[in-house]
Amino acid sequence: MDPLTLAIPTGRLFADTCALLQRVGWLAAVPTERTLVLPASDGRRVLIAKPADILTYVEQGAADAGIVGKDMLLEQERDVYELVDLGFGSCRGVVALPEAQQERWRQPGTLLRIATKYPRLTTRFFERERRPVEIVQLHGSVELAPRVGLADGIVDLVMTGQTLRDNLLAEVAEVFQSSARLVVNRVSLRTKAAVVQPLVEQTKRTATIRAPVTAAPTTRPTAEGDR
Amino acid sequence: MRVRSTQSGRWQQVPAGVRDYAAPDAARHSALAASVRSEFMRWGYAEVRTPPVEYLETIVRGAGAGIQDHLFKIVDTGGELLVLRPEMTVPIARLAATRLLLQAAGPLRLSYVADVFRGQDEGRTQLRAFTQAGVELLGEGTLDADAEVIALAATCLRRAGVPDAVVHVGHLGFLDDLLAALPAETQDEIRARLYRKEFAGIEHAIPDPSLAGLLRLLPDLHGDDAVTRATPFATSARSRAALADLETLMARLRDYGLADIVRFDLSIIRDFSYYTGVVFEAYGAGSGYPLAGGGRYDTLLGRFGAECPATGFALGLDRVLSVLPTDGDVSIAVVLVADPSQRPEAIQIATDLRRRGVSVLILGATAEAPITAQRNSYRWVVRMTVDGIVLQDMRTETQRLVDRATLIAVLGTPSGDRVSEWTR
Repeated sequence: MDPLTLAIPTGRLFADTCALLQRVGWLAAVPTERTLVLPASDGRRVLIAKPADILTYVEQGAADAGIVGKDMLLEQERDVYELVDLGFGSCRGVVALPEAQQERWRQPGTLLRIATKYPRLTTRFFERERRPVEIVQLHGSVELAPRVGLADGIVDLVMTGQTLRDNLLAEVAEVFQSSARLVVNRVSLRTKAAVVQPLVEQTKRTATIRAPVTAAPTTRPTAEGDR
Repeated sequence: MRVRSTQSGRWQQVPAGVRDYAAPDAARHSALAASVRSEFMRWGYAEVRTPPVEYLETIVRGAGAGIQDHLFKIVDTGGELLVLRPEMTVPIARLAATRLLLQAAGPLRLSYVADVFRGQDEGRTQLRAFTQAGVELLGEGTLDADAEVIALAATCLRRAGVPDAVVHVGHLGFLDDLLAALPAETQDEIRARLYRKEFAGIEHAIPDPSLAGLLRLLPDLHGDDAVTRATPFATSARSRAALADLETLMARLRDYGLADIVRFDLSIIRDFSYYTGVVFEAYGAGSGYPLAGGGRYDTLLGRFGAECPATGFALGLDRVLSVLPTDGDVSIAVVLVADPSQRPEAIQIATDLRRRGVSVLILGATAEAPITAQRNSYRWVVRMTVDGIVLQDMRTETQRLVDRATLIAVLGTPSGDRVSEWTR
C-alpha cells in the first residue's frame, strides 16, 4: 500500500483534529503540538505544521492530504481539492471597530486602516462593499492593533466574541464563515485513491454524525483568534 | 576563479520565479527537449516557433478574460499592451487560423518546445518562466485524433523514464451537459465551485438529487470501473455519448499498447471555457502537480475566424525533469592531460575522438586533471607520459598503459558497455 502523509495544523484546530484522527483510527494517542512528524500505522504518516503552511504542503504534494480552516482556503486560493467540511472549528471572520468608534462604519467613504492576518480576503471584502481600505498585515494578536493606534479596526476570526469585548472592540460586519476542511492534493487524489478514499469516507461519516456543529463557548475560551 | 560574496545587490540575483540553468541541469533540460522533439517528429508533427510576445488582445480572445491576472504584461512603445505568452495553444491557434489553415490541404500536425511565462503570485514557489513541449492536431474531430495525441503524450513520458507514469482520461461533455440543465444562476455557482475544486457541501447547492449524488461522488470517479459507476447518472443523450466515446477511446489506446498507463477519470475538470470534450492529465511519482495536460478544444480556432476541431497537449519540461532520477546522466567523456611538448599529439587524439562523438577536454596541469574529471562527471583521464599513454578510469579507479590506436578504438566506440568490458 502506498504511504500517505496527512498534514494537520497546530493551534486552534489541533485538539479537535487529533480527536477526529483518533476516532478514524489514524492516531493512537494525542501527540504534543511540538512534534513534527508522527509515524502512524500502515505507512500512514501525520505531519504537524503551522495553519498557514498546511496548504503549501498539500498543494505541492509534500503532504497528500491536510486538515485546514476554510479561512486559509479562502485567503490562499491554492490548487487543492476541498473534499469534506469536518464540522468542527466553526468561527466567523468579522470586521471589528473600537466600541467608541462604531459610527465610522456608517460612513462608507471613510478610509479605514485595518489590521489582519487575511489581507486578500479583507481587500476583496472592502472592494465588494466599495469602501476604501488600507491593510496592515499582522501574523498574530491582531486585536492589539487598534489599541496602540496601529490600525482603526481589524478583520479577524471570532468564536465567542470574548476577545473582542476584552479589547473594547465590536463587530460591524461579517466577512466570511469558516470551519475545518479536509483537503487533498490533486495528484494524490488519483494516484493514491486506494488510501485517500477511505480517509475521505471516514472523515465524512464522522463529520455527518457530529453535524450540526456549533462552537462550544465554554470549553476553550482562550483559544480564540488562532494564536 | 572565485566569486567574492558581498552584500547582495539586485545585479547578483534574478527576479522571483525564474532561474538559471547551469551544468548538469542545462544539459538534462536540453536532452529531454531533444528526446521529446524527436518523438514529435516521429509522429509527423512539424515544429513551429511563434514570438515570445503577443498582443494582450490575442491571448484574452483565446483564453478568456480570466487569464489577465496571470500574465506578464509589457507596454509597447506605442502604448499597446503586450504579454509574454502564458502557453502555446492560443498563439498556435492564432497562427493556424490566420495563416496555416488557409494553405493546408488536410489536418495540421504542429509541435513546439517553448518557454512560457506566468505572472504568478509572490510567495508561491512555482516558476514564472518555464518550458512547455507539446503538440496540436488541428482539423480532426475524431476519437482517433484524441487517441493519437494521448498516445503521443504517454509515449513521451514513458520514453523520458518518468517513474509510475499514468495518464488519466476524462470527458467534459459528460458533466457539462448535466450541468446545462440547471438554472443559470445555480449552474454558474456549481461551475465556479468545480473550477476551484471546492467539493465540501457542493451537493447542498443543487436541487436535483441525482446530480447532487454525482457531484458527491465525482472526486472519486476514476479507475477501471469509473464509466460503469458514472452510467446511472448519464441522463442525457450527450452525457451518454461522452461515456461511449471514452470506452471507444480506451479501446483505441489499448491498440497503442498503453492499457497499463491510461485510466478513466471523470473527475478531471479543466477550464470549461476552453476545452470541449476529451480531456487528460498525466502524473508521475514524485510530483504533486500534473506533468502534462491537454484535450479537445473545438471552439478555440473559431475565435480566430477559422471554425476547426482541435486537440493537443502540453508537457511541463521542468516538472518532468523534477521527477527523473539524476544519476545515469554521465556520457563517456575524456580529460586529456598533456605537457606543452605533447600538445600537438594531444590535439590530434582529441580531434580523432571528437569526430567519433566523444567529448574531450585538454588540460595542461596534471594535478588538476582528476579533480576536473570528477567535477564534470567525466569518466576517463588520459595522461600523455614519457612511458606512453596512461588511461585512467575514474569510476573503477584503475589505470593502464595503452597505445594510441587502442585508445581511439576503445574510447571512440559508441557503446559504453564495450569500454567497461575492456577495463574489467
